[in-house]
This record gives sequence, C-alpha cells and structure tokens, in this order.
Amino acid sequence: MRRSLTTLLTSAALLLPVSAWAAPVEITLWHMEQPPHRVERIQQLMDEFNAAHPDIVVSQEPQNWGEIYAKAPAALSAGAGPDMLFAIPDFTPILKDIGALTSVADFVTELDKKHDFLDSALESYTYDGGVWAVPLYNMSMNLWYRKSVFAEAGLEVPTTWADWKAAAEKLSSDQTYGIGLPANKQLYTDQTVYSVMANGGATEIYDENGKLRFDNPQTVAAYEFYADLQKLSPPDNTSWTWGEAESCFASKSCGMILQFSVISSYDTQAEGDANDLGVAAIPHAEGESQHNTIAYPNAVMMLSTDEAKRKASEKFVSFLLEPENYGRFLNMEPGLFMPVTADGAEAESFWNDATVQKYRSQIETVIANSGNGKLFGFTSGRVFPAIAAISAQNILAETLQAIVVGGKTAAEAVSDGQARMNEVSE
Amino acid sequence: MRQSRFYAFVFVAPALLMLVAILGWPLLSAVLLSLQDVRSVGSEGSWVGLANYRKVLSNTAFWNASWLSIVWVVANAAVQTVLALAAALVLNQRFPGVRIARTWIILTWIVPTVVVVMIWRWLFSTSGGMINPLLIQIGIIDRPIGFFSSTWSAMATLVFINSWRWFPFIALMMLAGLTRIPSDLYEAARIDGAGTIKRFTRITWPLLAPTLGVLVIVGTLLSFNVFDIIWLLTSGGPAGGTRTLPILIYETAFKGYRLSEAATVAVLASVLLMAFAFFATRSLAKQGDER
Repeated sequence: MRRSLTTLLTSAALLLPVSAWAAPVEITLWHMEQPPHRVERIQQLMDEFNAAHPDIVVSQEPQNWGEIYAKAPAALSAGAGPDMLFAIPDFTPILKDIGALTSVADFVTELDKKHDFLDSALESYTYDGGVWAVPLYNMSMNLWYRKSVFAEAGLEVPTTWADWKAAAEKLSSDQTYGIGLPANKQLYTDQTVYSVMANGGATEIYDENGKLRFDNPQTVAAYEFYADLQKLSPPDNTSWTWGEAESCFASKSCGMILQFSVISSYDTQAEGDANDLGVAAIPHAEGESQHNTIAYPNAVMMLSTDEAKRKASEKFVSFLLEPENYGRFLNMEPGLFMPVTADGAEAESFWNDATVQKYRSQIETVIANSGNGKLFGFTSGRVFPAIAAISAQNILAETLQAIVVGGKTAAEAVSDGQARMNEVSE
Repeated sequence: MRQSRFYAFVFVAPALLMLVAILGWPLLSAVLLSLQDVRSVGSEGSWVGLANYRKVLSNTAFWNASWLSIVWVVANAAVQTVLALAAALVLNQRFPGVRIARTWIILTWIVPTVVVVMIWRWLFSTSGGMINPLLIQIGIIDRPIGFFSSTWSAMATLVFINSWRWFPFIALMMLAGLTRIPSDLYEAARIDGAGTIKRFTRITWPLLAPTLGVLVIVGTLLSFNVFDIIWLLTSGGPAGGTRTLPILIYETAFKGYRLSEAATVAVLASVLLMAFAFFATRSLAKQGDER
C-alpha cells in the first residue's frame, strides 16, 4: 500500500512540471468586427492557428467602437485588458499616452521585409521614435454611382468639383437626391468632409512645427463647397451615419454617395448588377491635380507585457498576414477591407472569393484610389496626441454643422473650428 | 431605553453601511475626481482644487446644456402629463376591452430603447420613412422635411419620442390615483348638477394632485437623466441643439478625454437635482399637512 502510494506521489511529482511546461500560452484578441459573419471568419482562422500551434490558444472577444475608447484604458489599468487589440490611428495615441503600448518596430520591420507594407498604412502608426501597431487592413472612401443612371442623364464621371456639383444638380429630381452627403456630428461626416478637404489642398491639419493650420483658405473653400453640395442631399442628412447613406444609394434615392464600400449592401439589397455599379476617385478642386481620399489603415496593437504572450501574439499576427490566410481574413467583409501588403494584394486567397471576383474591377479601383489615402492628423510624419480628442469630438463635422445648421459662413465656422481644436488640445 | 436604541442602531447599521457603500462611495469618488485633472480612464491626475469648477462654470457649453436640460425636462413633463392624464381618464371609464387596453398601453414602455430608436429613426427618415409621405399626402408639407435637421425640430422630435415612450407608464400611475377617488363623490356632484368640467376641476384634479406631485418629482429626475434616446438619435446635435447635461458629461469624459471636468459637471448636476428633490418633497409634505 505504502509502495503504491509512493509510486503515485512520485509520478505526480514528475508529471506536474511536465504538465506545467506543456500548458499552452493563452492569448486574447479584442476586435470591433462585430457582425456575426466577421466573427465567424475570424474564429475559423483562429481554429486553424490553434490547431497548427498546440502551444498557443488564441481566442477572440468582439467589442464595439462606441465603447472601446473608454473600456480599453479602464481594462488595461485594471490588468484585465486583452493581449491584442484592433485599432485605427487615432485610437493608438490614447493607449500610448497611458503607457499601455511598447513599440513593435522590430516586428514590423521583419514583417515589412516579408510582405511589403503600404507606406501610407505604416505612416499612421509611426511617430515618436516607434511603431505602435501592426497594419492589418485598409479602408478608403470612394465615389459610388450607377453607370446606367449616369448614362441616362448624359453624364461623365466627375473629376473636378464643378463637374461634381453639375452632375449632382442634373441627377436631382422629385424622386432622387443628386447626392447623399452626411452632415451629422459623427465620424462618417468627419470622413467625408476630410475627403473633400484632401481634394482641395487642405490635407494638413498641423504645420511642420505641430501648430494647428486648420484655419486656412483651402479649408474654407472645401467647407464652402461641401456645404453647398450637401444641399442636394436628403434633408435628414444631419442625422446620417454610414447605414443611411448606403440605404439611400441602394434604394436609388441618392444618385451618388461617398462611402468606403457599398458592394455588400448593393449586392444583397439592391440590383447586385456588377456591371452597373460605378466607383471613382473623389473629384478634386479646380487647380488641384491629384485625387486624394481619406484612408483608414486598421491595425492591431500588441498589449501584453508577458514575453511568452507577446511572442504568441506575434506568431498569430504573422499567421494572419501570410498570403494563404490574409485574403480570407480580409474577405470577412468582401469589398470593404483592402490589403495593406504587396503580397496580400496579389494573394489568391483574396481574389478567389466569389464576391470579390464578381466586383473585381470595382475592388481594383478602390485599391488604386487608396494609394493616395490620407488621414487627418497623421499626414506629416509627426503625430500629436491631441488629434485623438479632435477626432473623437468630431470637430471636422461640428464645423460643418455650424454652417449647415448654425448658419455661419464657412470662414467663421472654420475659425471657430480651429479655436475648438485648440481648446480640446489643451 | 438606551440599550434598545443601541440595538436599533446595530440592526440598522448593515443597511446603512450598504447604503454608504452603494451610494456614498461613488458620489464621493466623483467629488474627489472633480478636484483633480484626470484626463482619461486609467491615467494619473494631480490635485487642482476648484479649478475645474471655475472652468466649467465659466464655460458657455455648460450653461447651454443646463438650459437645454431644463427645456427637455419641462417639455417632457408638459407633454407626458397631458397625454398621460388623457389616457388615464379614458382608461378609468368602463367600456368593452378596457382591461386589455390597460395592459397593452405599457407596450411602448417595455420595448427596449434601441428598438424604439430604430422604429422612429426609420419612420422619420426621408428615404423610405412613412411620416414624410403621409404629411405630403395630407397636404401639410410639399417636400420631405428632416425632423432632426434644425435644433428646435430635433428637440421637439426627441421630446415627442421620449413622451411616447413614457406617457403610458405615467398614465398607469395616474389611473391608480384615479381609482382611489371614491365614486360617491362623483355621484353627489352629479346630483348637485355639476357638469363634466366642474367634476374634473373640483374633484378629480384636487384629489389627483398628490399623485401628480410625486409623478412630477420622479418624472423630472428620470427625464433629466435620459441619455440613451438622445444619444442614439441625435448624439446631442444638430449643432449642440439637444446636448443636455448627461450628453455633455459623456462627451466631456469619453470623447474629450477630460474625466475630471466631466465629474465636475456631474457633481453640479447632482447638486441641482438634489436641491430640486429636497424642495419639491418639502413642498409636497407641506401641502399634505395643510390638507
């Protein structure tokens, strides 16, 4: 009896360290891709990764953009944060500011050699001597229209602001609004307003010394044009978010809209005729030579300070960026998420998706347009943390509302906008 | 006697401690936060004394939000009281289906806020909504209008939606008050030749007043703190036209990353509400004593 007890205890003593050594590293990813089909696609990739890496278990916890700005800092302060967290450029300075981020420059350099990141995607996360997140996918704003509607109205695709306004006026009728532009104090309006600013020579919010230069003639002209053009939009555009614009386009109530992508809603809620769906670069001001747009390179921040967890997180991100997996990751929402790596842009896993094949020409145009992608506050190679507050308070959109709802002139509104930016930057 | 008081304190102490922990500690935390300069959740701050109070009280955004909160509360109280009183008077009658009506009237109140918001957002939409075509068809307007496009129409629309959601609940409270009025009072008044209006002004209204008083206090506190409907429909816009104090607090804390400043606004709003509740309950108690 004593002998068998000794054997049992000895075996247990021997097995304990073995089992401890064999315990997999558990890492958690927080992301804001909440729609069930996106969660499902991410889970498929995680299952494959977990099967191929028995020493790591990666799991996901979907969050939402509305809460994450408050939730993530609180969770990290309480030591209950995730190991990886998806980000857009203006979210990163907030976590960097509270000391939750360490640079991933070495890891990004390694990935860049292998996959070749888009420069514009890296630029938004590279400042203050570090790289603060790994770019994962890109979204850029485009002009969407129906080719048949343009042909019927005898319109060419507009390339300048004057053409654009003329086209919107021609498309306006009792049944149709010439264009659907938002004027809500919300992120979507920030994005469309900046897309117009970037096409009017008002790309830079800060000068090279970090001083705000929002109040300048180009910005005023861009606001004047936008405020004028949005008069041809539905009157409830002051409460619009992305969904209303897509519905307006899908129901043919709006002749054109600015949107990252309408492929999903057009394919499922509208005609779904790929040959009729037109996408173009956003028209620029007279005198400008280049079509610009707003582009959001989404990325993943590595938050774990535990060496083993950090290495495991790096392995998972590397796995996602491998061309055979990357396309499937991007196509969790076909037509919306664009590659940020050169080999990803050519990956079969991306182009073989049925929806991507159907709308291939549109997606190629979107990828081409994103080459001139800019993001306010992240264009000069230097990032000032106050851009997070400027962005979060939607001051670009607030400035537009001061004109559209408040009745101010563009010059007054832009001057007030700069004052507000200074106020929130204090 | 002294011993029994001691035991009374002992027995009450757990409940008191619980109250202090649940109510007192968060309030104290907010006051302490308002005396610092913490910017975002998780970041450190230093003591700044009353600097935040000076800043907030000299900020026009605070006074605008306070004014809009008053407009919001008064407008909701007026609309909800009228609608609820009308509904309660109808439900106090005997007619076929009254029991079903009394049950189903609370439907709008039990529907989740997000569903209410989706329904009304769609109904008021200019592309696909039903309200605009209806108004055009009956000749009130000739082109679709944006209900959230101007500051006053956005506020009016929000008051309408919030009142639509809440009036059935208040109507039921009023109905409870109405059913407590003895029917023989109405009988006697009728025999004395009192008409409908006189019976309402001389019997219903005075006897319903205590219930209405309580509802005004509770309703004001509830209305003042409404955040979800406003945030989901207008986010305080357009152009700040519906930015009440709760919206300002949220924006300051989680969009402006000025947690301490937001706590300052919250403390000031709490003081305002506590003062209102104190004077209103005292006034009600006084009226009760007089009766």
